Amino acid sequence: MSNLLEVKNVSLRHAHKPVLDDVSFIANAGEFIALLGCNGAGKTTLMDIVAGLRKPDSGEVLLDGRELDEWPRNALSQRVAHMPQAVRPDLGYSAEQVVLMGRYPHRESWFDSPEDHALAHAAMERTQSWEFRNRRVHTLSGGERQRVLLAACLVQHADLFLFDEPSIYLDIDQQLRCFALLRDEAASGKACIAVTHDINLALSYCSRLLVLSGQRLVFDLSVDEARGSQEWLQVFSRQLELGTTPHGRPWVWYQ
Amino acid sequence: MTPISGRAVRRLVSTCILIFLSAAVLLPWVGPGVISPRSVLHRDNSDAYIFWQLRVTRTLLALFAGGALSLGGTLFQALLRDALATPYTLGVSTGASLGAVITICLGVATIGGIPAVWVGALAGSLAVLVLVMTAAAPQRRITAFGLLLTGVAINSMCSSVILLLHSMAGVSRSFSISRWLIGSIDATSYRSLCIFLITVCIASLLVIVQAKDWNLLSVDEHWAATRGVRVQPLMLIGYILGSVLTAATIALTGPIAFVELIVPHMLRARFSSDHRVLMPCSFLLGGTLVAVCDAIGRVIVAPNEIPAGVTLALIGGPYMVWLVRERVS
Repeated sequence: MSNLLEVKNVSLRHAHKPVLDDVSFIANAGEFIALLGCNGAGKTTLMDIVAGLRKPDSGEVLLDGRELDEWPRNALSQRVAHMPQAVRPDLGYSAEQVVLMGRYPHRESWFDSPEDHALAHAAMERTQSWEFRNRRVHTLSGGERQRVLLAACLVQHADLFLFDEPSIYLDIDQQLRCFALLRDEAASGKACIAVTHDINLALSYCSRLLVLSGQRLVFDLSVDEARGSQEWLQVFSRQLELGTTPHGRPWVWYQ
Repeated sequence: MTPISGRAVRRLVSTCILIFLSAAVLLPWVGPGVISPRSVLHRDNSDAYIFWQLRVTRTLLALFAGGALSLGGTLFQALLRDALATPYTLGVSTGASLGAVITICLGVATIGGIPAVWVGALAGSLAVLVLVMTAAAPQRRITAFGLLLTGVAINSMCSSVILLLHSMAGVSRSFSISRWLIGSIDATSYRSLCIFLITVCIASLLVIVQAKDWNLLSVDEHWAATRGVRVQPLMLIGYILGSVLTAATIALTGPIAFVELIVPHMLRARFSSDHRVLMPCSFLLGGTLVAVCDAIGRVIVAPNEIPAGVTLALIGGPYMVWLVRERVS
């Protein structure tokens, strides 16, 4: 059986500079993968390529063994959901209208059905954004907006979820909720890939870590492998050290 | 403020339809000189002629011209993700104006039985459409930013050629040019009115049935692409349909400004940004607004007339100032 997602030797240059160089990895149902890397390492570009928003110069991206290009746009949107880093802050749509847009790939008809409303309600309850469903997006705070975007992504009921910094702007309690939610999605048979800068969140909730550095994918580790080595931490900063909490969980701290 | 529920949407759309229909029924009766309902039913009667040949055609033209412009504005605002975008921003209407001004300067009255100004306006906007499309899309990729920049550049080029032609034209032609550039609703023959109505109705329906796609595109191109929209073809179709609506209207009326800003903005602010509501309502209310402005212009300084474009600009100017203030604060 083919893998859900297979990224093969993907390279991309922009203005004669390499942005991604020969990146390959595989993702399958049930996995929650953290995509880590310093600023400008190519994380967002890689997510855009996997979402079908950009084409690599070479290499290929396969979903269920079929190249992304060969998927009709609508069928692809039913399988892959992408949460952008941000949307225009001046959107005049209400929070609920934005979430309902996640149902568009599933419905031909012109109106949202009661089922769509029920699914949007459920997704917004999960991200605790139902209470501001009627507020316009431009009146929401950064963190509230982020929870609406997360709900808009979840409601798409895809098999592969791509989150570009889902926990940005969130307070600590909401960050934990967000990552727990993504872990639950993975546990229910989806594949989740999340870009993040928070190594501790990644170690606590994810099942695998991908580390981009210098345009290349330098580490592809399961969380258990990551616990046993310090080497991958050096990519981020020499000041980092991997320790253990009193409860025996891995914890990265800095001097 | 809270966006409206499903039932309120239906009530809003039906209210707009009602307003539009009442305007169509009532406004032909407005004008200098009272026309009695009884005289209208007699065939050989000057009142009947004024009513059926002048006022009814004029009202219908105003209703559908205003609707087309207002819907075109809503469409371009979604395409460019800019609340201040209009068909004028992208040069389509200035191209139409240039085409019309050239035919006025050449002194051609009709081409194949059709008023030459119409042909000129259509040809002008078509030329701009092709020019913007080829210039804005290197490597066949259309972006909102590319469209906007190219449109603005072509817009100012066309405007300066219009100024040049205007300054070189003789007194009488110069007068017809200024008159045309103001934009006004005049009585037209039923034949040309029919062609116009059919064009506008088809283009408007094609725009409105894709309302969900405009919702997605007005958020973001990536947002739309990851929700099943093929962005490039959609932007191309949107730009062409918007140009057809604008060009068909401007050919008959001249460039009537501001309706495409006022109506969508009012609807977005007061009711909903959802294009499934916004687009039909902008059409209906935009048409009513232009028809009412035209009716006001007919009576307020009778026997003279104020062109609908002037009345609208007098209302639209202060609205724009208020809008900018709102945006800044």
